[in-house]
Amino acid sequence: MNRKKNFRFILPIGVLFLAAVAWAGSPQILLSPGSEPSTASFAAINKIFTGDWQQYGQLFTSWQGGLFNRIFLLVLTIVPGIFLLHYIVIGAKSFSHAGTPIKFFGILTRLLHWLAALSFSLLVITGLMVVFGKFLGGGALIMSGRSVHLIAAIVFCLSAAGLFLIWLKDMLPMPHDVLWLFIMGGYLSKKKKPIPAGKFNAGQKIWFWLATIGGGVMAWSGYNLYSFAAPTDQLRQMAILHNFLAAALVGFFIIHLYMSLFAIKGSLTSMISGYKSSDEVAVMHSRYKI
Amino acid sequence: MARMKFLCDVERCIDCNGCVIACKEGNQVPVGVNRRRVITIGEGKPGEKSISVACMHCSDAPCIAVCPVDAIYQREDGIVLVNKKTCIGCGYCFMACPFGAPQFPSGKVFGARGAMDKCTFCAGGPEETFSDEEKRLYGQNRIAEGKVPLCAAMCATKALMAGDANVVADAYRKRVFARGSGANAWGWDKAYGKK
Repeated sequence: MNRKKNFRFILPIGVLFLAAVAWAGSPQILLSPGSEPSTASFAAINKIFTGDWQQYGQLFTSWQGGLFNRIFLLVLTIVPGIFLLHYIVIGAKSFSHAGTPIKFFGILTRLLHWLAALSFSLLVITGLMVVFGKFLGGGALIMSGRSVHLIAAIVFCLSAAGLFLIWLKDMLPMPHDVLWLFIMGGYLSKKKKPIPAGKFNAGQKIWFWLATIGGGVMAWSGYNLYSFAAPTDQLRQMAILHNFLAAALVGFFIIHLYMSLFAIKGSLTSMISGYKSSDEVAVMHSRYKI
Repeated sequence: MARMKFLCDVERCIDCNGCVIACKEGNQVPVGVNRRRVITIGEGKPGEKSISVACMHCSDAPCIAVCPVDAIYQREDGIVLVNKKTCIGCGYCFMACPFGAPQFPSGKVFGARGAMDKCTFCAGGPEETFSDEEKRLYGQNRIAEGKVPLCAAMCATKALMAGDANVVADAYRKRVFARGSGANAWGWDKAYGKK
């Protein structure tokens, strides 16, 4: 009895086992899971682990690997070189300070300007420290430079926003700005002919728009680069943008320094006292209505 | 000189994440950093594949090219290492790396990034070999001990292999031919007999 009962169970199991062996031996099972060619799998895997590196990764790598610091080196050598030549060949302009001085900058304007000037100088210095970090040895010095860069950026953003509102009306492009650009602001001649410019000339306007709107773009891309807030491929584009725009800003910063410190005698004092000499305004800002 | 290399056999990797844990635990990796990760495609579907990825220790590594302070360097045996005392945490290496290998510890003041951390191939760092400083900053130096990296050593299915490129490639080639499936199902031996 017992043996017969056992056999009743064994038989179906045996049949199932044989069926399973036959099924496993069929070519069907060899083609199912796991036997996909590895090349296809790697193509699918590559898409995930290299992400969108193919978009801007290579471009960023090659430019950051040599182009950017060369551009900065060129800006830092060629721009001052040109102005040194200008200073030697054409020389500085000086104006009589005899007449009644004309009020040009209010106290808030001057305060904001010097806040922006200080923070922007720090931004340029610490930014260049990162760009040329390998020549300074890297490490804690450059790392603290990055922290200063962040704090200076916040100060600059606030003060530049204030200056933007104060100067916006005077900085709007005017038809005579084209004329100014054609004669290069009269800086190529030693004669003192009236220059077509209102409160600000076309050069100052370019610097204004570059520093405020460009500064805003720098702040936005810089924030993303600092906090990794954007997707990686966008970070690459932002790093490229941040570097090119920074090169332009450093160039114009040097121009601004030259103009205020050397090209026009006494120009620096106007941003301290708030007054320009009437002689200077009559020539350099001939269309300025008081 | 031997050229060190990782190779992950996707036919063997089972997404157990043992390599990730072994690396993180064995090297006391900082919070927010995973030196190794496992990627799975077609999860739950026929043909699911997994691969364990860390630093590829590239020849002509993009991270070395973009580093503004030259903190990253490559050893004679191809292992790419970072000097954490030179690194400024700018993150350019992260943007240049196709594999997302460079990682940054989080939790500093103002969300600042610390020095970059990445797979060292368990070869420590530029500090003195077996020094406490090396262990604290970079983890174990198993290469100097003559051992394979932690991840490859602990891999249960031996999907992840590490070591001299030629030896690893040879072992993998033998495996592929022995398997006789996938791309190599109809190779030389099937066409021309056992030779």
